[in-house]
Amino acid sequence: MNGFGFRLRGLTSGYGARTILKGIDADIPAGVLTSLIGPNGSGKSTLLRALAGLQPYGGTLNLTGGEGEREVRRISRREFALLAGVVPQGFHPAYPFSVWEVIGMGRLPYRGLLGGRATEEDDARIVAAARRVGVEKLLPRPITALSGGEAQRVLLACVLAQDPPVFLLDEPTSALDPNQAARVFALLRELAEEGRTVVAVVHDINASLAFSGHYLALREGTLLSQGPMDELNGDVLQALYGTPFLPYRSERGDVMWRALAE
Amino acid sequence: MSNPVTQYRARQSRRAWAVGGALLLALTVTAAWRITLGEWAIPLPRVIYLLSPWLSGTERTPAEALVVRAVRLPRLLSAGGAGGLLSVAGAVLQGLLSNPLAEPYTLGIAAGAAFGGALGLLFSSLMVTPAAFAGALAALAIVSLIACRSGGTVRGGGAQLVLAGVVANAVLSAGVTFLKAIADDKLGAIVLWLMGSLSGAGMSSAAAVWGASLLVLVPALACAPLLDALSLGEGQGALLGVDEGRVRTLLLLTTSLGIAAVVSAFGIIGFVGLVVPHLLRMSVGPSHRTLLPLSFLAGGCLLSVADGVAQSMGELPVGVLTALIGGPFFCWLLVRRGGRK
Repeated sequence: MNGFGFRLRGLTSGYGARTILKGIDADIPAGVLTSLIGPNGSGKSTLLRALAGLQPYGGTLNLTGGEGEREVRRISRREFALLAGVVPQGFHPAYPFSVWEVIGMGRLPYRGLLGGRATEEDDARIVAAARRVGVEKLLPRPITALSGGEAQRVLLACVLAQDPPVFLLDEPTSALDPNQAARVFALLRELAEEGRTVVAVVHDINASLAFSGHYLALREGTLLSQGPMDELNGDVLQALYGTPFLPYRSERGDVMWRALAE
Repeated sequence: MSNPVTQYRARQSRRAWAVGGALLLALTVTAAWRITLGEWAIPLPRVIYLLSPWLSGTERTPAEALVVRAVRLPRLLSAGGAGGLLSVAGAVLQGLLSNPLAEPYTLGIAAGAAFGGALGLLFSSLMVTPAAFAGALAALAIVSLIACRSGGTVRGGGAQLVLAGVVANAVLSAGVTFLKAIADDKLGAIVLWLMGSLSGAGMSSAAAVWGASLLVLVPALACAPLLDALSLGEGQGALLGVDEGRVRTLLLLTTSLGIAAVVSAFGIIGFVGLVVPHLLRMSVGPSHRTLLPLSFLAGGCLLSVADGVAQSMGELPVGVLTALIGGPFFCWLLVRRGGRK
């Protein structure tokens, strides 16, 4: 798979008169799991929405790779859905679609302009995606009857069925228990190893240290630093979150960080 | 090796066919009731004979033939078409806006059509339909704008959208009252028209409603899978590659036109579009490919029955009856939704 990445130059964005992103220069590498980290309100979700083409922006935001560089805002929704899948934060559907129907909607970009009919291949991919995320037992259940964490995993399965080269996720583990969170992180790393580009907003620094290869650290709408994950250190974390961080070693010998309240 | 999803799909489609069959049966029974019984009972075989297209000119004129062909048949067709249209319009709006409380009546679209139509009626009876359509579109635009500006979004904007609809309803109702106050000799025509009655239905209004039904149903059904994605709300439609703006514009236009056609023909008949899709979602699920045609059947059936009951209660306007039953149902829906959160 020829990987896709993003090139950001002077990226600004916001809501109405409120500017959230104040000029970001960054490169999101292809075929890597990139973590977007930073304190609450630093603009991580806005950046993710901009990458997903949902957010009006100023400056340069280009999708790189494939047939060369292209401006995100110039890609049609239909084509973009074949390039990138998005798992938003929280999902509160109004109607009781079955889980298999929701996952099946991930196949929509591959069908005709009007949505066409599902094929046998679609059904096979629905089951495969559900298995990969571990929600196959939920397939006949209505989505409205699921817990927040289950609905979040169903949405991830929907994007797996969509099978895009780029995955964009906003706190994909926020509603998950530690076991499920670890499984989702492992899945995201697997996706990156398959050559896909994965960008996730993450609050759990240690999980992103363990699973991701690259980081973007945002503070108050600006980029504080970026780089390979192993360059993330106590100084960056302290500057980012405004509190000292203490390193410690896990039982496996990995370096981990713990925030100290001042 | 059998795929479980293929089995679920087959089970869902069997259930939809069963419900559709039951609705067709109910519709047939209702039609037989409405066309044979009334102030003057005419046996079914006789009715069928009277309805045959080969009836000679002299046989068409007796009172019996006139009652069946010029009164009961158009009224039955109008009730069926209007009920079907309002239900489909409700289902489409609920899907497009991802809000189960959306409906021509609650969103103020019907009130907009009523205001526009009444305004048109002041000038000429020919102006009613175009003015009703303009009123419906204007009401929809204003309600969406208020919902957006008050912090909600048009899609999934829950409370804001319904609140804006309430406001639009109040203002537009006051507007209609104002028009009545200055209407002078046309007051009677406005009051009679807005009461929401099918008693005056003729073949031309039946044809108009059926034409409008097709206009609402066909495009919505054609992009049913897109409507499914939009109804997930929260921008999911766009993320799945649906051109939200284009689909929303097309379907809002066609549904508003359809609603305006019903309002200009029969006045305001509320709550049909709220009750029917909701009950159907509970039995066949929210997938629009089944929901829309079944809504059409069920809505047609419901309004035909309501019209029959209204007629037997001394020609009560059917809009009064649907509001009397639909209002409490709407409350129940609100309470149930609130209870879940």
